Amino acid sequence: MSGRGAAGASSAPAAADQRPPAGRPPVDRRPRHSLRDRLRRDWPLLAMTAPAAALLLVFHYLPTLGNVIAFQDYNPFVGDDPIEAFLYSEWIGFGNFEALFRDPLFWDAVRNTLTITAFQLVFFFPLPIMLAILLNSLVSGRVRGFVQSVVYLPHFFSWVLVVTFFVQMLGGAGLLAQEMRQAGLQPWDIMTNPDTFIVLVTAEAVWKDIGWGAIVFLAALAAIDQNLYEAAAADGANRWRRLWHITLPGLRPVIVLLLIMRLGDALSVGFEQFILQREAVGREAAEVLDTFVYYQAISTQQWGLGAAAGLFKAAVGLVLILAANHVAHRLGEQGVYSKS
Amino acid sequence: MTPSLPGASTDRRTLLRLLGLGTAATIGGATLAGCSKEAGSKGTATQADAIRAVLPTYKPAELLKPDIPGEGPIPDGYLSYPRQLADAITEQPGRGGPPINTMSPWWGPAPPTLGRNSYLAAVNAKLGVEVNPSLQDGVTYADKLNAMLGARDVPDLLCVPNWEVDKVARFSDAVKALFEDLTDHLKGDAAAKYPYLAALPTGAWEYSVWGGRLYAVPFPTDGPFALALFHRKDLLDSAGLSTPTSPEELHEFGRKATDPAKGVWAFGSVFDMVQQFFGCQQHWRKKPDGGLEHKFENPAFLAALEFTAKLFAEGLVHPDTVASKGADEKQLFKSGKILMFQDGLGAWQGMQGERVKELPSFNMQPLPIFGVNGAPAVIWGSEKPVFYTFVKKGLGVERVDELLRVLNWCAAPFGSREFELREYGVEGQHFTRAADGSPVPTELGRKEMGAQYTHIGGRVPVKVKSGDTPDYVADYLGYYQKNIGLMEKDLFAGIKLELPANWSKIIQPTEDKIRDILRGRRPVSDLEQVKKEFFASGGEEGRAFHEKALADNGR
Repeated sequence: MSGRGAAGASSAPAAADQRPPAGRPPVDRRPRHSLRDRLRRDWPLLAMTAPAAALLLVFHYLPTLGNVIAFQDYNPFVGDDPIEAFLYSEWIGFGNFEALFRDPLFWDAVRNTLTITAFQLVFFFPLPIMLAILLNSLVSGRVRGFVQSVVYLPHFFSWVLVVTFFVQMLGGAGLLAQEMRQAGLQPWDIMTNPDTFIVLVTAEAVWKDIGWGAIVFLAALAAIDQNLYEAAAADGANRWRRLWHITLPGLRPVIVLLLIMRLGDALSVGFEQFILQREAVGREAAEVLDTFVYYQAISTQQWGLGAAAGLFKAAVGLVLILAANHVAHRLGEQGVYSKS
Repeated sequence: MTPSLPGASTDRRTLLRLLGLGTAATIGGATLAGCSKEAGSKGTATQADAIRAVLPTYKPAELLKPDIPGEGPIPDGYLSYPRQLADAITEQPGRGGPPINTMSPWWGPAPPTLGRNSYLAAVNAKLGVEVNPSLQDGVTYADKLNAMLGARDVPDLLCVPNWEVDKVARFSDAVKALFEDLTDHLKGDAAAKYPYLAALPTGAWEYSVWGGRLYAVPFPTDGPFALALFHRKDLLDSAGLSTPTSPEELHEFGRKATDPAKGVWAFGSVFDMVQQFFGCQQHWRKKPDGGLEHKFENPAFLAALEFTAKLFAEGLVHPDTVASKGADEKQLFKSGKILMFQDGLGAWQGMQGERVKELPSFNMQPLPIFGVNGAPAVIWGSEKPVFYTFVKKGLGVERVDELLRVLNWCAAPFGSREFELREYGVEGQHFTRAADGSPVPTELGRKEMGAQYTHIGGRVPVKVKSGDTPDYVADYLGYYQKNIGLMEKDLFAGIKLELPANWSKIIQPTEDKIRDILRGRRPVSDLEQVKKEFFASGGEEGRAFHEKALADNGR
């Protein structure tokens, strides 16, 4: 399909190159022998992967075992050391999940989280793509560099700073409100309106992360073959047709990839941003899954309940990733991984 | 795309299986109940009698006669600084052991760390052992503490504020697993080895017992009131506003003082103090016919809620307080952007001393307490120690002994050189002397000192006149002496409560709902509904738990 753009194609062969020799049927007749052959041939690659694999093992897979506490009334202080705490804590089957799923506060949090995810998928996700295309079209390298630095910068601010910045600018005693009062107007209620909170958090997220999000798209844009543009221009395609038929198809694999990843993260929309503004708009608007876990599990030391919520999040994320990936395959995209 | 189909069907099957699992777990609550149990602690209460048996023998160690003697929980006051200081400790406490890591809270900019801090260097030289303090933001102390306890990775000396203890559901388990049992070191006459720890009030030690054993050194409160409603007396006077003496006048003051065009609002957070003025208890009070009444059931709470919601609705509260948890009310108050807010009385002297240098007229005072409709106010407070200092478990008898000697040094009383060094630093560097000999902190002193030794060491609280806050001691002790009679009696004094998990869990959701009412997101009439939900989902369990604890102790 035409969707296999330059950016996707450049990485696909690299992955494919390693496979055919390994899976070549004639060599596979005696597997033990072939394994030694493959080791002898591939050891430098394995050696290079080893540190990353070790990190993954120690910091991701090993802690994953800790998820057993989702099925325990986990008490970190029984026994003489942390391992014994796992062993001696009481097993309670699905008790934590039951408590979780019975709690209306939990479902409020899930609903809020999903609403915010959906909203941001529509109103946030496309913006970095637009910004990247816009930046890419700037001719002057100096202007582009300047704009890039300015829009990247907020990514490195903590949420406390971002929220304070918004309060100082748009809050009831902030710059905008004071200017409006000077002009004899009634200031708008921007920071404390629960009904428009979703717009506010999205605006904050856009301000903070739009530049950062654009980086990967800029890279993908750089990988598009310039000859295509020249050929299209020679054939009389105008700016919009080039955007539609060359640029966007070129970005499509990256867009789909990021979209799938975002869906896998559907139940995470951030934590600090919401805990900081919770009092301003109330629990009903600002409770997301992560703040629920903080207040109901971490601060009450119900670690098992927290782990149960985490497992729930992971299960939902997995389902969404698999489903989205499947849809992507159906549409002829590569998705996160491909089995073909 | 044919090759992808087998994979796709696997995906679908996995998906269905996962969905099935989720649905089963969601709707099958009843079925699951057969093979699952409820998590969470049911709570415990330690008997008051068991506690008395392990306390240190009290032996006062006063070096100077106070000018204003304290009564009960009110500290002694000194109106002049002694010209002659005594050596309280003759033997160097440190025996050159490895560095002592500590963690304690601090509310303010973080001072420089060991190696870049001349105050720490000066005190450590006296101690004969390196103390390496880690100061954590007091506002978010619980975050660090919870992670630390959960990971069982605690420093040699850990300072834990009492309000954080109440938030940690399995704190007594944590204490037994992580901290040294100090009973044999400090019980009865054994405490005489550490004379300044033995001089800490028995009332404070009573709270330091977990499971019948002594586990912590207390930091006694220097005034038992939880909060005061501070106001900028200088600004009220210059604006010709009189001090409010009733809710109506308070409301009237708010309307007159608020001027958004100038960026000035009357109030920051005030709700806890309003409740006290309206005569509402902090948690529980005894009903005349027996049993306990929660404050939500007291009509005074409803009245206080109604009143405060009105302040919010009329825009008399600073928008930063309304908009963000991170609102820096101290800063707003110092710069006159708010004229009234509630804070601990501990904030008084530091803020007054710091601000008066830039603005000589600066005068912050607690608003005189008034009652409502002829009923007296109820002041929240208790003699609970402010902090507990725990010693890490398994360091060995020798090392525990060294750590306790360091704590003993940190608890040296007023009038000693050790007290001066700990409290004010080195003369000429961290403080200079006013004409009357009293220390005045310098810029370096303010920068480098964060109660690194004070917060871990207990100390007998005193109030001392200082050059930059000449009226403070009389004002402070006067406020206490005038109002101490209004303080609510702590029904549970000396009983160690480990609250049930269901109780801990409803606190935050209920606070959220009360806040919704305060901020006008729900009508005041919703309090009925909030109350109903509160008592149904853990409130009644909490009431039964508290009633039983009282009955078991014959109160």
